[in-house]
Amino acid sequence: MTDISFARPPRQSRIPLTRAALPLAVALAFAFFAVFADGFAQWNNLRALLVNNFALLAIVALAMTLAVHSGGIDLSVATAIDLASLAFVAALAAGYGVAPAIIAGLAAAGAAGIVNAFLIAVLGITPFLATLGTLFIGHSVQQLTTGGGNPLFVPFQQVPPALPFLARGDLLGLPVPVLAVLVLAALIAVLLSKSRFGRQSLTLGLQPLLALYSGIATGRVLALVYILVALIAGITGIFLSANVSAYMPFSGNVFLMNAIGATFIGTTMSASRAPNVTGTLVGVLFLAIISNGLLLIGWDFYWQKLGAGIAIILCLLISSGKARHPQ
Amino acid sequence: MADLTAEGADHIAAKPTRHAGQSGFAALLPLAALLAFGLILLVFALSSAQFLRPGNLFQVIAQSSILAVLALGLTVVVIGGGENTLSGGIDLSLAANLGMGAAIYAVLAQAGQPDLLAIPAAILAGLALGAFNAFAIVVLGMLPLLATLGSMTLAVGIEQVVSRNTTILVATPLRRFLGGHDPLFGLPILAWALLLTSLIFALIVHYSRFGLNLQAVGGNPAAARAAGLNTRAWTAGSYLVSGFCGGLGALFSVGFLGASSTGSAEYLLPVIAATFLGTVFSRRLSPTIGGTLLAALFLGVLANGFQLLNISSYWVAGIQGVLMLAVVATTSLRRPL
Repeated sequence: MTDISFARPPRQSRIPLTRAALPLAVALAFAFFAVFADGFAQWNNLRALLVNNFALLAIVALAMTLAVHSGGIDLSVATAIDLASLAFVAALAAGYGVAPAIIAGLAAAGAAGIVNAFLIAVLGITPFLATLGTLFIGHSVQQLTTGGGNPLFVPFQQVPPALPFLARGDLLGLPVPVLAVLVLAALIAVLLSKSRFGRQSLTLGLQPLLALYSGIATGRVLALVYILVALIAGITGIFLSANVSAYMPFSGNVFLMNAIGATFIGTTMSASRAPNVTGTLVGVLFLAIISNGLLLIGWDFYWQKLGAGIAIILCLLISSGKARHPQ
Repeated sequence: MADLTAEGADHIAAKPTRHAGQSGFAALLPLAALLAFGLILLVFALSSAQFLRPGNLFQVIAQSSILAVLALGLTVVVIGGGENTLSGGIDLSLAANLGMGAAIYAVLAQAGQPDLLAIPAAILAGLALGAFNAFAIVVLGMLPLLATLGSMTLAVGIEQVVSRNTTILVATPLRRFLGGHDPLFGLPILAWALLLTSLIFALIVHYSRFGLNLQAVGGNPAAARAAGLNTRAWTAGSYLVSGFCGGLGALFSVGFLGASSTGSAEYLLPVIAATFLGTVFSRRLSPTIGGTLLAALFLGVLANGFQLLNISSYWVAGIQGVLMLAVVATTSLRRPL
């Protein structure tokens, strides 16, 4: 557990460019597409951007933020997403209501979290390798349960009206997934900054040995972190399935790298370079604007992907500009 | 608050590592691992007549050569960067690097360019990505995980632009050579190529001054610096080697498949698994060239044996994962955290 991911010299905070790079990049990207992409700045598109490009990734990235905050990483968020989606759809297809199905989905995601918690907190495996193992196992579990990767559908007549509402409906004037992001973000922000658990997790992230020697029950904190991460990632799986009324195997994988990227880009917004909720959300917003905007601008599909990759790298490069390892 | 840096992490990490544990238990692990490997070979041999045929065994080696050559690159990075997966050495861009190199080679070959141009182009592309990683990590001070994540996106983007996300068939002399068999024993050329590459890597990493310095830099950067080594240059060098392996893997993959493939991302996780699984074959439980080669072959044998025994291939990923976890769990038991 000596993975120190975000620890940087505190003096980095004095360089305003570093901390302002990400919000500036978001503003620039927004302005660029507002000018050059037809229809980008219209409300309909912005809503689609928030629902399709932002919300689901944001939930996964918030989960990732918890893991990175405690000095680790969770590569198995993809497994948690897929297992939640599988259990949710299986329960609906078996005729259960939406509420039991959601509970089933979260329980399945939680199972992945418990495996991680055991590997990391009890066996002492580094989070990177432990969650990599869980990802492998999750892959097999999905292949075995779906005959190699066949999607599972909720029969058309059985689709409860709550599903489209979950995926696209409005509540309090906001799309439900976006509302979920805001609620989760507020809860996690309070958890990380105001609770004892948050402070212990931060200590683990900055100085794992210090945390151990000061008597923090590191195993308990870590176990809680990885179970929470899996549960939160599972919410994405449920939204994903609600949207298409189906479970598509291995669909969680697309979120993994972007969630890690957003979390680490987000650390540049904090003075101490710690992962933080605001930074992560702005990071996700950046990625969402880029992917939505490049689509609208009508670039060749494959150049879009390269463009998105270059934008992310530039942002990473600028934001980590002066954070070199001291010699 | 002085020790909040990534360097500080190394100091912390250096203290409670496994190197201290020279107990009999640790010394027995490589032996036990080899025995387990042998036992599994035996089970496969007893249950399928096909398995032990030289044709089959060498086909497995040829098949594993792509994964293995990438894992050799990652091994060099992990040796030179330390085994801490976040602040230490890691290269996530290897698989994408292979995809990019294969696409570049195939497109050039399709355009009628000779191997004389296409081969260096694939290798140079790999080296360029390695150089990008080295620059981002050593000069800009980015975390390897993050830098190589970025270069992975970049390589995937370039691959898609170059190949338009299609499989491009190639029928070049290189493909005929690498996909063929040697005239003397009739064994696959790729198997020879892998064994030769591993031998060269093992000689350099484990029996040369270069390798010794690399291990010093990865094992204890502060001590290496005090001894007068330019640690930054060594770290940069390890990412260049890794980039080279990505290019080499691209050529192997084109030779094996006869085409550029759009599925290179599948290698990302097995490459990491092979590298860390390989640590169990070394006495100090650290990554070695021989250990990585054995682990990559082991993963290949496992998949092949399952096929011959008619066990669903759906189990393969899960069993690879459990094996890797078992290995890293045994090696991390002595750590305080």
